[in-house]
Amino acid sequence: MKQYILIILFAIPGFIFAQDNSTQLWEKGNAFYTTGDFQQAISNYEQILAAGQESAKLYFNLGNAYYKAGNINKAILNFERAKVLDPNNENIDFNIKMANQFVVTSIEPLPLPFFLRWRTSVINMYSSDSWSYISLVSFIIFLILIGLFIFSRIVMVRRISFLTGLFILVFSGFAFSFAAKQKKKIVERNSAIVFCPRVTVKSAPAQTGTDLFLIYEGLKVQITDSVDTWKEIKLADGNQGWLQDSCIVKI
Amino acid sequence: MIRTFTTYLILFFTVVSANAVQTRFTMEAPGAVEVGQQFRLSFTLNEQGSNLKLPPGIENNFDILMGPSTSQSFSSSNINGKITQETTFGYTYILRAKQEGTFELRPASIEVGGKIFESNSIKIQVVKAQSKPAQPQAGAGGSGGNNAAEQQQGKPQNVELGSDNLFVRVEMSKQNVFKGEQIVATVKLYVNPNIPIAGFDQVNLPTYEGFYTQDVEIPQQVNFTREVYDNKIYQVGVLKKTILFPQQNGKLTVAPFDMSLLVQQQVKQRSFFDDFFNSFRTVKATISSKPVTVNVRDIPNPPASFMGGVGNFNITSDISAQDVTTNDAVTLKLTISGSGNIRLVNTPKLDLPSDFEVYDPKVTDNVSVTSSGVSGTKTIEYLFQPRFEGDYAVPAIQFTYFNPANGTYETKSTPEYQLRVKKGSGDQTAKVTGSLRKEDVQLLGQDIRYIQQGDPELEPIGYTFFGTPLFYLLYAGSTFAFLLLFFIYRKKARENANIALMRNKKANKVARKRLKAAATFLKQNNNEAFHESILKAFEGYLSDKLGIPVADLNRESAVAGLQKRNVEQAVIDDFVSVVEQCEFARYAPASGSEARNELYSKAETTMGLMEKQIKR
Repeated sequence: MKQYILIILFAIPGFIFAQDNSTQLWEKGNAFYTTGDFQQAISNYEQILAAGQESAKLYFNLGNAYYKAGNINKAILNFERAKVLDPNNENIDFNIKMANQFVVTSIEPLPLPFFLRWRTSVINMYSSDSWSYISLVSFIIFLILIGLFIFSRIVMVRRISFLTGLFILVFSGFAFSFAAKQKKKIVERNSAIVFCPRVTVKSAPAQTGTDLFLIYEGLKVQITDSVDTWKEIKLADGNQGWLQDSCIVKI
Repeated sequence: MIRTFTTYLILFFTVVSANAVQTRFTMEAPGAVEVGQQFRLSFTLNEQGSNLKLPPGIENNFDILMGPSTSQSFSSSNINGKITQETTFGYTYILRAKQEGTFELRPASIEVGGKIFESNSIKIQVVKAQSKPAQPQAGAGGSGGNNAAEQQQGKPQNVELGSDNLFVRVEMSKQNVFKGEQIVATVKLYVNPNIPIAGFDQVNLPTYEGFYTQDVEIPQQVNFTREVYDNKIYQVGVLKKTILFPQQNGKLTVAPFDMSLLVQQQVKQRSFFDDFFNSFRTVKATISSKPVTVNVRDIPNPPASFMGGVGNFNITSDISAQDVTTNDAVTLKLTISGSGNIRLVNTPKLDLPSDFEVYDPKVTDNVSVTSSGVSGTKTIEYLFQPRFEGDYAVPAIQFTYFNPANGTYETKSTPEYQLRVKKGSGDQTAKVTGSLRKEDVQLLGQDIRYIQQGDPELEPIGYTFFGTPLFYLLYAGSTFAFLLLFFIYRKKARENANIALMRNKKANKVARKRLKAAATFLKQNNNEAFHESILKAFEGYLSDKLGIPVADLNRESAVAGLQKRNVEQAVIDDFVSVVEQCEFARYAPASGSEARNELYSKAETTMGLMEKQIKR
């Protein structure tokens, strides 16, 4: 117990120092961006990442800087990374749309059944952390309502608190699972951006595989499987195939 | 009759127009002659003159063999009712060149009506004699009739139709040019003077691939002039004159082209009679040109305001109005003038404020093509309407062209105009539009959203609150806290419930005890203590039974408490009357002992009923 306290006591100043340094880099990066020195802005933002820190805002600004510096692939990559951390941000969506205008391959996404679409949009309303808090808070509300149910003498109050409590417990469970889903997205990172200017996608994880289709840089793909240095990818229109993992960068 | 009249008329006009017509005195001679060859030097004058003086110094280089022989010609023309007439006087000399070289004949002079007029000067190139000095000139059929040289003709001779004597070539004014720089290309037919040309059979003029071309207008009739080429005299006819603008870089070659000519050749005499019938036959001669190459250099890296103009230009601009009201049309006129590829000059862009109504510029070319090149003006009219009041700047137009003479870009600029726009009268606008105009938001461009500022909200990479021990701990902690609270509360509640139960159970006993005390006071006849003990008995009982603290207990709260417990109204009324009697009797003089007994028994039965009904 004593040891833990010591560790925490020592860790706190270091953490605060790191925060300070990163904030400085952040402010400097923003200043460089404002004056139009995008390369300097990029290097400042990248230093924060190298120090092991991230945030949706950081990825967003980095993506902006890459976009302005003309590196569309990296811009898309960082915008998508920002979207993973902050899935329901209108600015990020807009910039992804703008950057995607430069992508050569245009893909008609497969239409999803409406309930899946709704589910995805509900899950993407909040980030993993937000869903965690929602789940926790609603669980505590549930406990309070159960307390009311047990101790209240008034029949009406008991009845209402019971039903509401049950509903909120279910809601808390859903929020928990959504938080888990969002977390999985962050941990697994099974999407990637194509960085090779032009790639032939093969039918098998070998050079001898039949050429299936051509894709161009900047495209977002789903990674579904992996063999050695080969990755099986799936496009939004349902096409699947294999390519070398040197050609893609995970989001 | 009519004829005489016309003659008079003509004579009349001659007199009238004589003053109007300018005196022209010209000197003519072939441009190239051989040494020892005779040629004509002729002067023409459109008025009667006297005292003709030959160019000074002519005797040094030329022998004057004969002259002057004079001639006179009269011409009259009637064009669209306008009659013009001219009398021309000609003076002809026969000269012979003494030595090789190029000689300039200075102006000759003549006196007309007391005034001295000077002719033009000409240049004559004299080359070494190639043929016998007496060789007649064949193709140069002169206009003047009595020519000494012509009389010598008639000794026909067949000249070989080799490439030296008959050929065609494309003459380029320049061989090394910049892209877009103009070149004058002349297609010339060279004919040995001894070859009589009867006509053209088939003429394929060159196609200039890789060039933008503009033809120079030359007379339809091919005029032959004498020219020296390669130290030989030729009759040279200009077939076509074209201004070329190279459009590609590198070596551009004008491909060879063919043409056939009809040449008269004398048939060799076979008999005596042939000599009388000067028998000629016409031969078809096909000649082809040699390829001509032009080296085209690319112009250096052009600036943004380069409009494709190569040559020498100047620009001027003019604005129709500077103080206008809204919706007035304003015209900015830009005039580009100069020589060069003016037709290929792009329209410079005028960057007007974006809420102006801008129409497509109107472009008019006025270009003349002469043998010295293409020149003229290009007029661009920018028409626009300011929609809103305010002060605007019509920006300067930068016009950059490439000057091939010094190989640099030159930029000319128009002045910037200030435009003051006042609001037009409301009536006018209403009349024009009929309703209020609504402007849509104009999208001027698209860009990504700006970067986010403020707290970066940084977290360690990969960190999520979900799944951390703290997260689960909060669940467990809140559950634990809930359970803890639950048990504490329940225990307390149970204890509280026990106390109330005890007191409830005891209440009757205590009350009975008090009533018993009241009974002893009744026997002792202690009026005050008796009533007080009855009141106390009820107070304590109700306090315990209804769970109301003694301090808060009064008659109203007691009645309300009893009613809440569904005690019968009759019992409550009894209770109230007992309490009233007691309170009344406490401070009143002692009443009879029957009344006290009655009160006691009423209190006892009320309490008994209460006990039964509250329990229920």
